[in-house]
Amino acid sequence: MVQNETAIEVNNITKHFKVYPDKGAQLKERLLFRKRSRFEIRDVLRGISFDVKKGEAVGLIGHNGCGKSTTLKLLTRIMYPDSGTITMNGRVSSLIELGAGFHPDMSGRENIYTNAAIFGLTKKEIDARLKDIVEFSELEEFIDNPVRTYSSGMYMRLAFSVAINVDADILLIDEILAVGDTNFQTKCFNRLRELKAAGITIIIVTHDLSTIEKFCDRAIWLNEGVIVKEGRSPEVVDAYFNFMNQKRIEAEKQDEEPEEAAPETESEPEKAEEEEPAAEENSGGIDYSANRFGLKYIEITKARMIGESGKDGRIFSTGDKITIEMDYKVNKPLDEYIFGFGFYTLEGQCLYGNNTQLDRMTVKTDKMSGTVAVDVTGLPLLAGKYVLNVAVVDNNGTPMDFYRNYCDFEVVSEDRSTGYFSVPHNWRITK
Amino acid sequence: MNTIKELYAYRQMIFSLVKKDLRGRYKGSVLGFLWTFINPLFQLIVYTMVFSFILKTTIERYYLYLFVALIPWIFFSSAITVGAASVVAQKDLVKKIYFPRMVIPISYVTSCFVNMLLCFIVVFAVVVCTGVGVNFVALLTLPVIMIVEYILALGMALLTSAVTVYFRDLEHILGIISMAWMYMTPVMYDKSIVPDRLLPIFNLNPMTHVIECYRSVLYSKEVPDLTSLLSALSLGVLFLLIGCLVFNKLQRHFAEEL
Repeated sequence: MVQNETAIEVNNITKHFKVYPDKGAQLKERLLFRKRSRFEIRDVLRGISFDVKKGEAVGLIGHNGCGKSTTLKLLTRIMYPDSGTITMNGRVSSLIELGAGFHPDMSGRENIYTNAAIFGLTKKEIDARLKDIVEFSELEEFIDNPVRTYSSGMYMRLAFSVAINVDADILLIDEILAVGDTNFQTKCFNRLRELKAAGITIIIVTHDLSTIEKFCDRAIWLNEGVIVKEGRSPEVVDAYFNFMNQKRIEAEKQDEEPEEAAPETESEPEKAEEEEPAAEENSGGIDYSANRFGLKYIEITKARMIGESGKDGRIFSTGDKITIEMDYKVNKPLDEYIFGFGFYTLEGQCLYGNNTQLDRMTVKTDKMSGTVAVDVTGLPLLAGKYVLNVAVVDNNGTPMDFYRNYCDFEVVSEDRSTGYFSVPHNWRITK
Repeated sequence: MNTIKELYAYRQMIFSLVKKDLRGRYKGSVLGFLWTFINPLFQLIVYTMVFSFILKTTIERYYLYLFVALIPWIFFSSAITVGAASVVAQKDLVKKIYFPRMVIPISYVTSCFVNMLLCFIVVFAVVVCTGVGVNFVALLTLPVIMIVEYILALGMALLTSAVTVYFRDLEHILGIISMAWMYMTPVMYDKSIVPDRLLPIFNLNPMTHVIECYRSVLYSKEVPDLTSLLSALSLGVLFLLIGCLVFNKLQRHFAEEL
């Protein structure tokens, strides 16, 4: 197989949808309510071009509604672009809607035939693959039972097994990680790796950035129907992640504290104005259940996680040297402050927590604003998504500014261990 | 040309959709597959009663005269009415996955066609049991007639199924159209009683020729009139071409309209 052959060529495609506020599909409605059939045109894709080489794995990322699923639908030819051209070289299999055309009353085996037929396989071809499909799905015992008796996991396993055994040259995948339990997911990924190694072109759309980073050679970031960034996945994923975080932090700021300006634009005169509402708001007591609580005598205006690149990021690798910086602002000076940080799971379980007091350090300052930094010399977390908490309390432990879920961050890892922490270890055979 | 090649590649899908449709059609009903035969039989009884005892037709063995025309007509009318709704009915598939969209109307028409073939077992049973017998030479042309009718029905189904996606009323309008079409086709009466000034319309109606051919093979036991068969065939091919063109044009936006 020639490595430089182009598998997919997308040339300046555009797509718009007509959005009818209230569409009348019937004759009566069309005639009587002419005005009602007015529609808005929503541009979903505004000129996208990219090439994918044979054997390449490319990830499409972007927030909801950015056009990535539409792009995938255009690639599968479920829909057609308004302008521009798409050339696909080879048989295409899509893992977009798994189990399309499954009939609940028919047995697993019969459904394999129906479903594979939808991918354009002939009976002979299906016969040849049947064994592989059944084996991969691990449903040997149940294959002759009607599909309606299957659990949803079994259903997806069967559907995935068919789709992945079609022998396509190009695989289009939308959010595959919803399939089955972790073991089956791992199996799917291993299978995808095999396929990739065998020279099959793979396009993945997912919100799971670590998948993209681990699996894809290249990533394309779409926003508002145009390509924002295209290149090696770690770079694109980083850029996208930072963008999303920025966006979310801004949105949170606007929701929770409309009186506070975005942290970057903060300037001296604004600070004076902010003191009053902050003090007033918190005079009644502390709501410990809030995402952010405290008396605000001192506030954390911004926290950063600085990775090895030296920039504020949200994706790190296990073992990275990172620095957590907290900008603070004093509203009412105290004798002493205690700064802390913690790593949490998404479910809210504390994995690690530390503060200046635990480390027998006293923080006294008479400056009205500044930055506290903590260096983590080797990030011990394994691959996954985590939450950063930052906090500042007074020397009695009274919360001044306690920021739960300050931000999510993601860790990618070469370490294949399970759990949360990477434990340095070596195996030896001693006998 | 590409379309044909692709459809050939998807033949297994057509086959499995036909099978699914035939199996699923009478699922859950007590008599199940027997309805395939009972339905036309009861229609036959009703029409025969009306025409033989009330309208007192002079046609000999009217039940057979009607039966050999009614079965093909039911195929044709169900192909256009049921076929019209076929793409809409499969919208889950159309929206989710790629396959040549023509597969859907093709399989619906084919499943109606298979139904007709099964009904022909009953037709032959009647022909044999009543001692009418068959002309074997004439019988050889029967498959040709069936194929001509299939082409015709497919052309119509392609047209109606594609338009129905954009204009759902068509499905209901077609109920009326197919009824009117039946009375404009010599199914229940003989073409000879049609007034002369209406004859051009009848001759333009491809189903007139198809029904006449069926009738000459199975009722009059004669080899059908070749010009009749040829005009039916050319009209059928024309319908199919128009159907294909319209379908191909309209199918590009199916996923958005459904």
